[in-house]
Amino acid sequence: MRIRNNTVVVGKVSLLVVLLLVGLTVLGCIGTKTSPEGGSGGVVADGTLFLAPSVKQAGGFGCTSPAVDSKLVALSAANGTRFWEVPLEGSSSGGGFGCSQSTAPAAIYGSPAVAGDLVYVGGYNGKIYAINIASGAVRWVYPREGTLEPIIGGVIVALDRVYFGGADGKVYALDADTGDKQWEVPLGDKIWATPAVSGETLYIGCFDKKLYAFNAVDGTKQWEYLAEGAIVSTPLVYNDTVYIGSFDRNFYALDAASGRLKWQFPAEKWFWTKAVAYNGTIYAGCFDGKVYALGAENGQEIAAFDLESPIYSWPVLVDGRVIVATEKGEIYAIDTASNQETLLADIEDAVYAPLCAGDGVIYIYSQEQNLYALNVDSGANLWNLTIK
Amino acid sequence: MEFIGDIWNLIAMQPMINTLIVLTNALFNNFGVAIIVLTLVVNGVMFPLTMKQVRASKAMQDLQPKIAELQKKYAKEKDKLAKEQMRLFKESGVSPAGCLLPLVIQMPIWIALFQSIMRVLAVIPENLVGLSNFLYSWPIVYTTLPLENHFLWLNLATGDIFLALLVGGTMWVQQKMVMTPATDPGKQSQSSMMLWMMPIMFAWLTMTFPSGLAIFWVTSNVFRIGMQYFIGGWGGLVKSGTKKPAGRDKKYKERIAKVEEFPKLDDFPEGDADIVVPSSTQEEGSSYDESGDKRPDGGGGYTKSLRAARRQPRKGRSHRRKRG
Repeated sequence: MRIRNNTVVVGKVSLLVVLLLVGLTVLGCIGTKTSPEGGSGGVVADGTLFLAPSVKQAGGFGCTSPAVDSKLVALSAANGTRFWEVPLEGSSSGGGFGCSQSTAPAAIYGSPAVAGDLVYVGGYNGKIYAINIASGAVRWVYPREGTLEPIIGGVIVALDRVYFGGADGKVYALDADTGDKQWEVPLGDKIWATPAVSGETLYIGCFDKKLYAFNAVDGTKQWEYLAEGAIVSTPLVYNDTVYIGSFDRNFYALDAASGRLKWQFPAEKWFWTKAVAYNGTIYAGCFDGKVYALGAENGQEIAAFDLESPIYSWPVLVDGRVIVATEKGEIYAIDTASNQETLLADIEDAVYAPLCAGDGVIYIYSQEQNLYALNVDSGANLWNLTIK
Repeated sequence: MEFIGDIWNLIAMQPMINTLIVLTNALFNNFGVAIIVLTLVVNGVMFPLTMKQVRASKAMQDLQPKIAELQKKYAKEKDKLAKEQMRLFKESGVSPAGCLLPLVIQMPIWIALFQSIMRVLAVIPENLVGLSNFLYSWPIVYTTLPLENHFLWLNLATGDIFLALLVGGTMWVQQKMVMTPATDPGKQSQSSMMLWMMPIMFAWLTMTFPSGLAIFWVTSNVFRIGMQYFIGGWGGLVKSGTKKPAGRDKKYKERIAKVEEFPKLDDFPEGDADIVVPSSTQEEGSSYDESGDKRPDGGGGYTKSLRAARRQPRKGRSHRRKRG
């Protein structure tokens, strides 16, 4: 009798522990995502908007199993009519029960870049694609076989080369026409930032807390600057100065030629987005919900626009106005002449992807997979689409 | 609901996440070691509660024959059964809540630790962005992030087969230690299934979870194996591995033995609940420890009826209070 009861008790306790741990699994996964969704900003060229929508996770028990394929779509910038779409396959079909997967979905975070007749895009699946803008045909893929570590930052095209950084901690330069590798340089840690090129110099931030400057032609390092926190934002080069924000909550101005610190500005939280410059003033959005207007020469705070919601998305500059989207989905226009902000629209939909603009229209891709086209003057919703 | 989430974040998630980050910084930016240390610290802090729960569960297990006896006797009288069970619990000093309450208290802490590890791993932009909402304004926190995901041969953000085996193995050992061998073939196969099912399930889970979580599980399992050894020796892991019961377990066992020494319930006339009467009113509000010394009434003391039973040798019905 005693043995039977003991067994029953152990069985019940085991069942309780199983339920407890399954509960932990479910609760532990709430609010955390380990499968990348991506969702790029757009780029407009010749009346066509190129965009890589996010890959939402499919439902599952406990955590969710990720979708693995993404795509690049080409739309009419005027009305959203879809011209073509190209599937970008994940490296394999991972997912299942649990919170992680051993495979890499083709989620795309960085905005595409257009040069000549090609549009370039890099994915979390560790591949770079060059696609014909007219037909959607894939011209080349790098690497041709296998994959790199995830590519989270965007690509840029300059000097007939495609530049990007990878989570493997390397900066790559590829031939823009063929996809052949021209050079690669290993850095000290992962790279999530999009590089910037000015003249023949490439600037890129790294998780190792450094901003690097390389000769964009041959990859020779010119200088490096050590901040106190990781750098994932994209450098802004303006008037021979490089402006960059860091996870250490500082915004830095460095001499573009030497990397010497000109000034730094302390904020309250991380800087993630790229800054914009206009008429001697730098506008930098911050996770503390503010856009700081700083004197380009001395870093003096000219104004701080408190938008009361973190700013992840890259702003755009349109006709002397800085257009900013907050995480909450409020779109503001900051008049650089009067330093006054105006609420342009409230799409009530979280915005992480970079904004883009063309022909008086702002394009905003939201976390809920909606693409909005807003009139830049009035904020009127011209059209919107759900793009999955 | 949002309010509850905010409270949860404020009192559980934020302290846990920031502690993990600061620990990582203090431990040479080694997140794997930080997970191990924090898991041990949390286990250590909850050690008294865990011990209480394990001991209460063991005592409850030891009481099962008496409960079964009552269930058999009062199968058709639910009220009477409940009353007698309550009396049994009271007299043996075992509280059913003692098994569950520590577990309920510990659960939020485990969930917070679990969620914190998931969040701090932050391997994709979405998570890193979300993590920023949980950070204190300490400079050390901002300069430490993002954390290095590599520990030994592991990428803490992805599953690992060796860790999966380690999780399964340590879980099996832990279960085996607490499991009592059954002689009934049916029950034996049920026990055996339980013994293998959980470790296999968790080994599989570990393969699909970030290995940072697996480190948390392995550390917890090893800690619990040590604790289980401290309480009951190797238990079912080796045939003669039972350790002499520790002081507190001994107390429970002695109490249960006392209850078992009591006259059988059949010996009592129906409704005769008051078996003995305290010898004097002076005993009110005080209890006795095992040495017989008086001490303020508190948890763990003998109940009045047990005290009386202890001091008065059993003499059958003649010691029951006469009524009327």
